[in-house]
Amino acid sequence: MNVVISYDISEDKRRTKIHNILKSYGQWVQYSVFECQLSDTQYAKLRWRLNKLIKPDTDSIRFYFLCACCFGKVERVGGEPLYDDTIFFAECADG
Amino acid sequence: MGTVYITQEDAFIGKTDERLHVKFDKKTILDVPLIKIDGVVVLGRATISPAAISELLERHIPLTFLAETGRYLGRLEPEVSKNIFVRKAQWQAAGESVQAIHVVQGFVRGKLKNYRNMLIRRQREFPDLDLAAYITRLEQAIAPIDTTNSINSLRGLEGAGSAAYFSCFHQLIRATEFTFTTRSRRPPTDPVNSLLSFGYSLLRHDIQGAIDIVGFDPYLGYLHCERYGRPALALDLMEEFRPLIVDAVVLSALNKRLLTSAEFVTEPLSHAVSLTWEGRKTFLRLYAQKKQSEFKHPVLGRKCSYQEAFELQARLLAKYLMGEIEKYPPLVLK
Repeated sequence: MNVVISYDISEDKRRTKIHNILKSYGQWVQYSVFECQLSDTQYAKLRWRLNKLIKPDTDSIRFYFLCACCFGKVERVGGEPLYDDTIFFAECADG
Repeated sequence: MGTVYITQEDAFIGKTDERLHVKFDKKTILDVPLIKIDGVVVLGRATISPAAISELLERHIPLTFLAETGRYLGRLEPEVSKNIFVRKAQWQAAGESVQAIHVVQGFVRGKLKNYRNMLIRRQREFPDLDLAAYITRLEQAIAPIDTTNSINSLRGLEGAGSAAYFSCFHQLIRATEFTFTTRSRRPPTDPVNSLLSFGYSLLRHDIQGAIDIVGFDPYLGYLHCERYGRPALALDLMEEFRPLIVDAVVLSALNKRLLTSAEFVTEPLSHAVSLTWEGRKTFLRLYAQKKQSEFKHPVLGRKCSYQEAFELQARLLAKYLMGEIEKYPPLVLK
């Protein structure tokens, strides 16, 4: 499934923690916005991990689901390009 | 899902949260979610933190070590699959059994037919080439496969076919700065051989991964005989994929001038030729693109990528050995 996750967290420390968890599940595209492509299990696990952390009365996290067809139609102007997740190189920029 | 290639010498591989984290000189050079990874390949030296090792094992992500030149060194394998029935069938077919002969016929036929189709295709693309004699030699090696019932004779046919193919391989290279006379390895002493060897190492990492997932014992093969520490079954299953993936990538890299002679270095004493850092990256990228490219599987009749095909072929082999299907169909592409 394709999920756009946005969050609004009142406290800096908790926001960093949530940001850190989300980085393990998808790509950071804007301040407080992530795009993730997840399986059902991965989504459930992410939900569970976030649930443990947040304070529902002050924080909010939103999950917007996109179908495969709509996900293909997303227009992105500027900002982070989507990474190619078929190959990753670990190397130093200056060689 | 992708493979991580650690090309930075002396990198540190660690883990933060659920991500693989690669550092060099105290700077982060890669930070990817583990859920996006299905393999890690280390080229050259690297340090790996204990936490990263256990996490990779836990998630069944194989870790392969290659020397800087691409020579296969070894791998850290997750627990082998618990599918004992596959392994039992694999062992029962060991030696000169009917099943072993059948699958060896399949491997050899797959490889040689792919060689032949490759030559036919090149002949069509470049009418100035004269490959007819080699195609005939290959066909002479393919024809008796189905009636040959001894594994040793099948090995002979495979050798004859490969010899025919490699004796015209130089004609397939359209870049004048590269020549190819004969296959040399351990170490490869010219650029073309060094690319082939590097490519086969990468392919072996992928095929061995597929074999593990299906539950085979990689060290018991049929075409390749057992030798200490040699993953014979991975080498067997590689045969049909060699021309389809590695040879195709090597030829396109050279013919499209994506790699030039400036990207190779020769080691003075052993004359071993290897790629430069930049060249290696280009080649890895081409290989990864090839692996992800899609085609229609001739037996299953649906689209799949080569990456998926590794596992599909391994599963077909398992089904054949367990008696669920009549024949093992090697992957032959037109």
